[in-house]
Amino acid sequence: MNGKIVVDHLSKTFKKGGVQAVKDVSFKVEEGEFFAFLGPNGAGKSTIVQILTTLMNATSGTAFVAGFDVIKEPEKVRRHIGAALQETGVDPDLTGREMLELQAWIFGFGKREGRLRAEELLDIVQLTEAAERRIGRYSGGMRRRLDLALTLVHEPAVLFLDEPTTGLDPSNRMAVWEELRRLNKDKGTTIFLTTQYLEEADNLADRISIINDGEIVASGTPKELKARIGSDLIALTPVDGGDEDRTLHLLKSGLMDADVIRKQEKILIYVEEGTRQLLEVARILDRENIEVEDIQLSSPTLDDIFLKITGEGKRSYEQ
Amino acid sequence: MSSNVWRDTWLMTRRNVKTTLRNPFSFIPNLMISAFFLLVYEGGLSGISQLPTFEGANYLAFILPVSIVSAAIGGAGGAGQSIVKDIENGFFSRLLLTPASRLSIVLGPIIAGMLQLFVQTLLIIGIAFLLGLEVQTGMGGVLFVLLIAIGWGLAFAGYSAGVALRTGNAQAAQAGTFIFFPLIFLSTTFVPYELIDAQWLKIAAVINPTTYIFESMRTVLIDGWVFWDMMQGVIAITIVSTLTITFAAVSAKRAVSRG
Repeated sequence: MNGKIVVDHLSKTFKKGGVQAVKDVSFKVEEGEFFAFLGPNGAGKSTIVQILTTLMNATSGTAFVAGFDVIKEPEKVRRHIGAALQETGVDPDLTGREMLELQAWIFGFGKREGRLRAEELLDIVQLTEAAERRIGRYSGGMRRRLDLALTLVHEPAVLFLDEPTTGLDPSNRMAVWEELRRLNKDKGTTIFLTTQYLEEADNLADRISIINDGEIVASGTPKELKARIGSDLIALTPVDGGDEDRTLHLLKSGLMDADVIRKQEKILIYVEEGTRQLLEVARILDRENIEVEDIQLSSPTLDDIFLKITGEGKRSYEQ
Repeated sequence: MSSNVWRDTWLMTRRNVKTTLRNPFSFIPNLMISAFFLLVYEGGLSGISQLPTFEGANYLAFILPVSIVSAAIGGAGGAGQSIVKDIENGFFSRLLLTPASRLSIVLGPIIAGMLQLFVQTLLIIGIAFLLGLEVQTGMGGVLFVLLIAIGWGLAFAGYSAGVALRTGNAQAAQAGTFIFFPLIFLSTTFVPYELIDAQWLKIAAVINPTTYIFESMRTVLIDGWVFWDMMQGVIAITIVSTLTITFAAVSAKRAVSRG
């Protein structure tokens, strides 16, 4: 079973509107790796997933999934992948069991094998009790779990999950995470996950690529990415009506070895020694009579990395 | 077609039949309307069959094709509704992610729609027999009427599936079914062509392919085995089906294409 994903100079421009959603993206995911694509809405994550799962053609570049070319051998790719898209793809008029059996039979299971596989998966995603209920009566969390089970019917080498926990409550999100970890560790399934939740990527992925505006802007392990921005973050909120440009300028020129950026109403300062630099920031603000509403010191999260990398003038995470 | 296509088409059709049966309100209203047409028109208009133009024909046999075509169009329209529902709830994309044959994904709901209209037509004919229908050509004629109903249903299923695949939107697909009214009523619906008074309606009736479907069915129900009159319906079905199935195929290709 080859669970590799190899993407080389992939681009996608939509004919309608001429929007270039993916710009010369290259990356590799090793067999058995848990890889996350992190980015805001409209960054190009779903477009890449759609290309890799054979739902869409690329404008240029190549992509191989499980050893097959997604453009030239889409049928072979489909036999080796499982994919859960942003919207759960289930028929509300079928029961959970019927839906899983149908999926198994489509993938070539015999009648009896399909039934057994459905039973097994219902147990794994804890839907045995709801198996005979129509999916239309399932909660959002139950549908998501069923959707995940559907992707696993044929034990795919590569699993694509496009924002699998969006809209789920914390307990359901944790249940999905647990299942994904189990699949990756116990079965060796290669997992390609897209998410807007930095916490999700941080918790699950071996390696992360941050994508913004159709381009990969950073890649590495969560640890490497955190290391890239220094150890601490000082976030301050100037008072309304204050001269933010002047504050930004003074902090940039007054602080040594600090990276100062503006992010919406906040000014973010990435520094090596947060406590010492916090005093220096306070001194500058006091000396220049600059009032602030709030000032906080924290260790960086992937969120901070994301904001720093996508930076000023680029699409913001919150947007 | 490879064995996979047959198998996948069987799976898709079975699933569509199952979901149709679980939503009885997707076909009961249409069946009721068709039965209503038969009862009301027979009850209210049968007196006009005394006119010399009718040449003593039974009005029930004359109006039955209207009820059958109404059931056929309604039943076939279910194919489009089913596809739209799948596109809207993401199931269509789920199927595209599987190795299921693309043809079977579109054929499944169309065949299920055909089966639905077959059963509906049988029920309408059954009601007509209870009301005293006499068929000039016997059971062979009933079979011919059924085949014409299925053929015309297929033509309409192609249209409704094409609209559904092109728009992927329930409202647009619903709006597309408004063609039902001109198809049924701008024709020799209630009286033979000679008795239509308005010139514009005469022109519409000549253009409307449903007129030839009605004539074809009425021929075997009232007149007997008159080859050329029967063939008019077959030709209309062939022409319209070719157009609508092509439209559905082109729309399907676009819907499953990878942009």
